[in-house]
Formats: sequence, structure tokens, C-alpha cells
Amino acid sequence: MKRYTIEELFQLKPSEPVQQVDFDAVEFKAIIEKVKKIQALREEEFLTSNRRRSSHHHPTRPKIKHNKPKVTTDEDGWSTFEPKSATTNDESAIEDDDTNVKSRAQETVRVKPNNKNIASSRPADARDIIVDKQVHGFNAFAALESDEEEEE
Amino acid sequence: MSVEEVTQKFEEAVSVSDAPKTVLSDNANFEVKHPLNSKWTLWYTKPAVEKSESWSDLLRPVTTFESVEEFWAIFQNIPEPHELPLKSDYHVFRNDIRPEWEDEANSKGGKWSFQVKGKGADIDELWLRTLLAVIGETIDEEDSQINGVVLSIRKGGNKFALWTKSEDKEPLTKIGAKFKQVLKLTEDGLLEFYPHSTANDRHAQPSISL
Repeated sequence: MKRYTIEELFQLKPSEPVQQVDFDAVEFKAIIEKVKKIQALREEEFLTSNRRRSSHHHPTRPKIKHNKPKVTTDEDGWSTFEPKSATTNDESAIEDDDTNVKSRAQETVRVKPNNKNIASSRPADARDIIVDKQVHGFNAFAALESDEEEEE
Repeated sequence: MSVEEVTQKFEEAVSVSDAPKTVLSDNANFEVKHPLNSKWTLWYTKPAVEKSESWSDLLRPVTTFESVEEFWAIFQNIPEPHELPLKSDYHVFRNDIRPEWEDEANSKGGKWSFQVKGKGADIDELWLRTLLAVIGETIDEEDSQINGVVLSIRKGGNKFALWTKSEDKEPLTKIGAKFKQVLKLTEDGLLEFYPHSTANDRHAQPSISL
């Protein structure tokens, strides 16, 4: 039986790659590359398809949890909150402060409470109660008087 | 006597002008080849990319080799294991044995199996060492128990499998011990032998463990 140790076989390894082989090495490599491309595309598709996530049904979901404000502690041990707007050095930001408040207020007004799934029939927003409130209350005395007077 | 000594003696015996070129004397145009003990076939299992593709469509013989020089030429022209897509398999089997349990030569045998876990191991080096030990017949010194060797590229860990023609415990234990050395396994590395008869049983226990 012919035997070669691993070391002997390594000695017989050509130092430069041999190009002559009795099969189509280029085609073989091309098949493998093609499979790799298909697998990569499928992987990408899987990652971007959000198959098991339900949150993509609500693209305009409001941000409920806000980032914690940055707190800096000076040498004396005093801690100071740094709100986001204060960190910007833009002077116009301070000037436009009033307009920002207004726009925020408008945004708040535009929000419609979604109370269709709430068991109570009472509207969730207090302003809706004011709007729906009857302007003229029912006056029982006036009603009694008017009919009788007309008949007479 | 080493391969170099044999080649040197051969070159000395023949006059210099008429001496046939070996891979050591002329890298590109060598004439002398070092024959292997048997012919080997390289098979490749292509991962399925369409549902209609069956196992027989995916498993294909790539080429055959009978000498050390042919082996190196093929090895240098095929992608290395780390370049293969997931779910690919390389198989190198003796003569015309198909890398399937149903093949007559495999039906009464089994496989020594080892799964490389983690990304630290050099899969290319281990595969080359395994191939050289198998085709050089040094992994199986007493008898031709080895039918072939398989490398499976998998997400959970690449698998090496050494397919044997029998389930005989004594010769297989010796082969398993050698296989551990080839794979550079320490005492902790567990090598398991599964008979092909239990291949369909998902909860099959190995008949030998090393």
C-alpha cells in the first residue's frame, strides 16, 4: 500500500498554483459565487422584512419615553440639568421661544383622543364636554306657559 | 525513505539530460507523478436555492484524482472551505463510492463525526490536514476502513465526518484516535461514531465516543 505522511504530501505541494485541471474550475467557482449572492440577498430580505415585528404598523407612533436630561456635576458637587434646547448656542432659538410655544400648543389642540375602544361613553377630552354642552337649558316653566297661552 | 529522497534517487539513476521532470525539479511542467493508493472523487453538495431542487440535483461529482500532483492541482483551483456558502458540503470518496448511506460500500458502516464550535478554529487548515491524512492513507494504517471524508458548512458549526465501511469497534477506535490528532483535538474534544443504520434517528446515541 502506498502511504504518504502529511509532511511528505506538503513537500510535494507546488510552490506556484497549477492552472491545469480536468474540470471547469471557473464554472465551479461561478456556481458557488451565484449561490452566495442568492443567500446574501435572502438574508438581507429577511432582515428588512420585519416579519415578526408589529410596531411597523404604526409609523407615526408618538415617542413616549424621552431620553434622560444630561446632568453635569461641577467641582463643588452641584448637579445641573442640561435641557436639550439649552445646549444649542443658537441665539435665534431663544428669540423664537414664543413661537415654539405657540406651535406646540397648536399641536396639542390637533390631537384627537381615540376613545372608541374605551368602555365608557364619556369623551376623554374635557374640552369636548364643553363643546357638546347645551347652550340653552330646558326651562320647564316657560314651556308650560307658552302652550296654554296660545290655546286661549 | 522520504519523498524527496525517492525523487533524488530517481533523478540520479536517470541521466540528467533525459531525466523526467518532477514537481520538485520543474514546478510547472513536471512529468513524474506520485501515485495514490486509490482513485478519489471530489463531490460537492450545492445548497438548495429553489424548492424544486432535490438531493440528487444538488450532489454532483466535480472531478477525480489518482496522484499527489493531481490532488494539489485540484485543491488549488477550488474555493477553500471558508469561501463556501452555508449548507455546502465537500465530499472526497474512494473510487466510485457515492457519498450516500444507500451505497453498498457505506450501508454497513458509519461515520466518525466532529462539530467545530466557535469561530476560532482554522477550518481550512483542518480540512486540508484531514484530506492529506485520508488520501495519504496514514489515518488508517492497518486496513482500508475509510470510504471517504465529508466537510459540511453549517451555521451552528462546521462538521467533519470520516465515513467507514464497517462498525467494528477495534479498528475504528484506532482510526478515531488518529482522527483526533489530525483535527488537533485535546482531551476535551469529543469525537463520536454513529452507525449509518441510526442516521434517520434524531436522538441516536453514538456507539463509540473518544
